[in-house]
Amino acid sequence: MDFGFKRSPSSAVNLDTVDHARYDRLVQLEPDALTCIGCGSCSATCTAAPWSGMSVRKVILGLQRGRDDEVDRMLSRCMLCGKCTMVCPRGINTRHLILTLCRLDRKGEVVR
Amino acid sequence: MRERFADAFNPFVIPFLIGMLFVLGYCLVAMVRVVAQLPKADRKRFLLSLITPKYIWMNIRDIFLNCLIHVKLWKRNKVLGYMHSSIAFGWFMLIVLGHLEVMLFLPERIHFFYYPIFFNFFVAETETTLEGALLMFLMDFFLLMVLSGIVLAIIKRFASRIVGMRRTTRLSLLDRVGLYALWSIFPLRLLAESFTAHISGGSFLTIPMNWIFRQFLGNDLNALPTWWAYSVALCVFMCVLPFTRYMHIPAEMLLIPMRNAGIRIRHPRKGFALLEVYSCPSCGVCIDACPMSVRKVNCQYTTVYLNRQLRRGNERRIEEISDKCLLCGKCTAVCQVGVQGPELRVAQRQRRKYALTPSYAGIDVQPMAASVAGAGGVLYFAGCMTRLTPSIRRATTSLLDKAGVRWTLMDEEEGLCCGRPLIMAGRPEQARELIDKNLEIIRASGCDTLLLSCPICYRVFKEEYPLEGVRVVHHSVFFQELIAAGRLRPARNEKEKFVWHDPCELGRGCGIYEQPRAALAAAGELVEAGRNRAESICCGGSLGSLTLGFEQRRAMTQNALDNLTVSDPSSIVTGCPLCLSTFGRYADRPVRDIAEILDSHC
Amino acid sequence: MVNRNPVIAVIGAGIAGLEAARQLADLGYSPVLIEKEPAVGGHVAQWNRLFPDMTPAAEVIDALKKQTAKIRTLLGTEIASINRLKDGFSLVLTDGTSLLCQAVLFATGFQLFNAAKKEEYGYGIYDRVITNRDLEAWFNTRKDMRIKQPEAVGFVHCVGSRDLKAGNTQCSKVCCITAIKQAIEIKEEFPDAEVYCFYMDLRLFGKKYEDFYIKAQRDYGIHFIRGRVSEVGEAIDGRVVVKAEDTLNGKPVKVTLDLLVLMAGIVCNPDAQHYARQVGVSVDDDGFLKSRDNIAAITESSRPGVFFAGACTGAKTIPETLAEARSAALNIHHYFNKRK
Repeated sequence: MDFGFKRSPSSAVNLDTVDHARYDRLVQLEPDALTCIGCGSCSATCTAAPWSGMSVRKVILGLQRGRDDEVDRMLSRCMLCGKCTMVCPRGINTRHLILTLCRLDRKGEVVR
Repeated sequence: MRERFADAFNPFVIPFLIGMLFVLGYCLVAMVRVVAQLPKADRKRFLLSLITPKYIWMNIRDIFLNCLIHVKLWKRNKVLGYMHSSIAFGWFMLIVLGHLEVMLFLPERIHFFYYPIFFNFFVAETETTLEGALLMFLMDFFLLMVLSGIVLAIIKRFASRIVGMRRTTRLSLLDRVGLYALWSIFPLRLLAESFTAHISGGSFLTIPMNWIFRQFLGNDLNALPTWWAYSVALCVFMCVLPFTRYMHIPAEMLLIPMRNAGIRIRHPRKGFALLEVYSCPSCGVCIDACPMSVRKVNCQYTTVYLNRQLRRGNERRIEEISDKCLLCGKCTAVCQVGVQGPELRVAQRQRRKYALTPSYAGIDVQPMAASVAGAGGVLYFAGCMTRLTPSIRRATTSLLDKAGVRWTLMDEEEGLCCGRPLIMAGRPEQARELIDKNLEIIRASGCDTLLLSCPICYRVFKEEYPLEGVRVVHHSVFFQELIAAGRLRPARNEKEKFVWHDPCELGRGCGIYEQPRAALAAAGELVEAGRNRAESICCGGSLGSLTLGFEQRRAMTQNALDNLTVSDPSSIVTGCPLCLSTFGRYADRPVRDIAEILDSHC
Repeated sequence: MVNRNPVIAVIGAGIAGLEAARQLADLGYSPVLIEKEPAVGGHVAQWNRLFPDMTPAAEVIDALKKQTAKIRTLLGTEIASINRLKDGFSLVLTDGTSLLCQAVLFATGFQLFNAAKKEEYGYGIYDRVITNRDLEAWFNTRKDMRIKQPEAVGFVHCVGSRDLKAGNTQCSKVCCITAIKQAIEIKEEFPDAEVYCFYMDLRLFGKKYEDFYIKAQRDYGIHFIRGRVSEVGEAIDGRVVVKAEDTLNGKPVKVTLDLLVLMAGIVCNPDAQHYARQVGVSVDDDGFLKSRDNIAAITESSRPGVFFAGACTGAKTIPETLAEARSAALNIHHYFNKRK
């Protein structure tokens, strides 16, 4: 019986149960994504950031933590300008990373 | 001349007839298919051009110059030019003169398809006339011309460096069959005609050979196997032609009229794109030209192999090749047929399916439009890349101030991308959304000139944005005009040697070669790179490639730098922020934007 | 024929070279110091105060100078060519002299990354952007037009370090502690100024380094922002505007500064690479000279008779450099003993 009182779900990320199928597929197709140190250069330089909070760093982190909706929202604002790729200190091809991600469905399969 | 055989037929012509009918039928069907696949408007335009005198003349002239004489190839490399034109033109003349012979001596046989080809078998010479001797001389002459081309072709296949090509195409099996068949046609023809020269008559080539053969083989019937061989060689060649690179022979004859009518690639696999793919002669000139081929492993990504994979439908390889390309356009510049490598690849990228579609509808550009509203004058769009190379923006605005130009910055705080990177990645509809947003801001400003310091932006603003009444100009051109008008007076220092790097998007992309050079010459001594203008070498930093990694580009940048420094300039000057950062990373001498040079001299 | 008094060529008269020469002289050998600058002391001589105790650099240098006063030192001289012989090495110097020695010690030190290569930071373009070296020089001389009563100062860590695009993926080790030291010094100079440090990671591994960090936070109120600066722009009044992402917060951050200090990283001296190749010593893939073993034999090279001390094999702190210099001297001593 539901009296209307609910315990709010914990906001902690439980790494034991997180679904990272998309992340696993991404690092298969773009292995350099593993080397991201989260420095934030990409976020700071992103052309689309003022209107969307787009950030490649957050996309990678979001995928690892199972925050798929947020990741999709950010990805759909990317203008593919390439500035993030220019500044990344680890040399990650972030543009290719974004394009690859846009081709994966939620289960991590490439859309045909 | 009189006929040797009353029915004017011999079974050996059957292979030839089969091949001829097959190839003609195939080409007809293919041509109809290609025209039918064109979008309606393009089809109408093309068919209309076929009856317009201006285009008719242009087409005939271009087909003659390109398909037969191979003028473009002569300009590139005389040996290769001679090789191709000797085969093409020589063979063409043999066919024409064959028909002339039949029309002259046995006009009633002109409708027999095979008669002109095998003329020397079916006739016996009755009297020596002047026109007969002349015709036979010309036949032998053109046969010799074709044979000399064949010899060069054989040498090219085994030792391409002798004819000036560093690398040449790897052939597929069918290509090899076609090649060997082609090689054998004319020696066999020479053999066959030499065997019968004492009956049909001949000239300086066939008569002496006939004399040699008659020492060993007295029986005239021995001539028949050679004519069979000749016919079979022709049959094999024509039957495999549609499945090999030799399809370029008929395809180019359709490509030229279509291109002259202004048709462009629309669908990635049908219509004009399909025609371009089949027009590729697989010559391999693009392999040496491609900037990626500095590393041998990258040769597999050149346009010649893209065309091959498109014909085979190998989706995985097509995707790999399409995504790797820098889209620099050099292959198109050197291609003898004009296959548009970058456009083909962008079209393939457009076929890609995505799970996520970007949308910029939520972006409110009102604040940006308000900040430039009513400004008029020159609107300067610095662009995404310029934020990472602030020296360009600084120098440009400084020069504008020095020249007393009234200007406003369009993307002072924030700005939208111009849209070209999205187009290059194969997402033109999304680019359209950005274009519309940017147009709002530009129109709100009421400017009369849109100034760009980045050629990537310049190209898209020029080609895709409907900006009537606004002049879209690159900063190197704008400053050159200011110098010519005396509003900017750079102090010339002839001890400084500049070399101008033609950015891919500015040079090959928009045809701007001379104005930046004129501006630089006003500041110092201008020297040239090894390869420049339409053949300049891409810096390697292009956004066009979706999959090239950072380390893989280094060899290309180094190669481009080596080319730029052949005349030992004191600094390298460019007009693109991407080229600036790419070169600046590895160059051993200063790399500057043209605005910086001019600013420091004014 | 064994040389009773072996000569050792010490390339570089920075603190590594000076300390090693001192030890070698004490052990009874004849070191020769070859220095391309007109004065000894290397980089440290140009610095003001050293972490963690804020020791004046001049003290360290003067002590070394006094101890090496009697050692043969060739200033303003570079090596034109160096060759390995059967029993030693032959050097030809740029002043024409020729030197025969039985061992070579590389004390060539480091070179500071050229901050102008990171164009997006605007060094050389904007007036208010300087490097750590410029700031340290100002602390010494108080002469720099760019530093004028700043109200807001920023430090950018990792300029030219840990950066594939800059051609150097290594951490330069000492810039983080230097940044905090200089930030504290700026605060002491201009107590009312706001000071920001933009970092990717804070690497404070040494003795008392963490205490420095705590002092910077508690006693000086220096702000630490975890986010790599991506672009530096110019405001109308000539001040610089810095954009970064505050990654701990996940939001973009922007601040206008009167002064921006770039912590330029440590890369190998290109001359050292050149000489190393001439004597057959290899260069490691991080650009520094390659030791025989990175744990057990860092002062020895793979070739007999060639030794290393200090930053030529990788970024080093001053105590590490001095320790290596002494260690190299001892290695050389054992090398000669074995040959007897």
